[in-house]
Amino acid sequence: MELKEFKKGNFLVINLIGRVDTSNYTELEKKIIEFIDGGEKEIVVNFSDLVYMSSSGLRVLLMALKKITAIGGKFHLCSLKENIMEIFEIAGFTSIFSIFNTIDEAAK
Amino acid sequence: MKEKTLTIVNQIEQLEEMAKTLEALSDEWNIPMDIMLSLNLVLEELVTNIIFYGYKDKDEHKIIIRFSFDDKIIQIQIEDDAIEFNPLLASEPDIDESIENRKIGGLGIHFVRKLTNSIAYERTNNKNILTLTKNIA
Repeated sequence: MELKEFKKGNFLVINLIGRVDTSNYTELEKKIIEFIDGGEKEIVVNFSDLVYMSSSGLRVLLMALKKITAIGGKFHLCSLKENIMEIFEIAGFTSIFSIFNTIDEAAK
Repeated sequence: MKEKTLTIVNQIEQLEEMAKTLEALSDEWNIPMDIMLSLNLVLEELVTNIIFYGYKDKDEHKIIIRFSFDDKIIQIQIEDDAIEFNPLLASEPDIDESIENRKIGGLGIHFVRKLTNSIAYERTNNKNILTLTKNIA
């Protein structure tokens, strides 16, 4: 997994690259907590270069969504590949996350 | 019938080995990568459970994963000597809860159920043997 972030207006966009699984999800967890604790209240996670995510990754996203929702911020996801979207549907995550097709739509 | 056996040990770093094997099988057996990624997820959830919760000692244990494919159905069998665990008896998570009340665990076995076509469990000679099948459309 690789992670690259940049600012787009008020939003912090996080590009997730590669695979998030049980062997590396703590890196993602640590980074996201750093961003939120550092004052980021509007975050977009861009999935366009992510090929795989297991329940460990989903747990990190749920934790982040709860944290940001509690402080009145926004936590948006975009550009999920079909197989990852299927996992979100099975997990019932499509009803609690705001999911967009593109970064532009997500960072509005 | 095509067959492949992968033996790993109870260390989380072995997930990478598992992912590589599935990627290679996708090529060798001409199975779409999307299906292999689903099976990768199923295996990761099961193997992670075994590694994290299955052993009372700190010793090295083998986990044997057998794949077979007959052009229509891929079968995966996981054999381990961990404590008895029948995933078919695990409770279902509530996937309709609000953000505040949504639980952070319990999704793994739910994925296993939803992403496979059959699951059979047996406990023989102090081993868990879980057999899964996935139909290739």
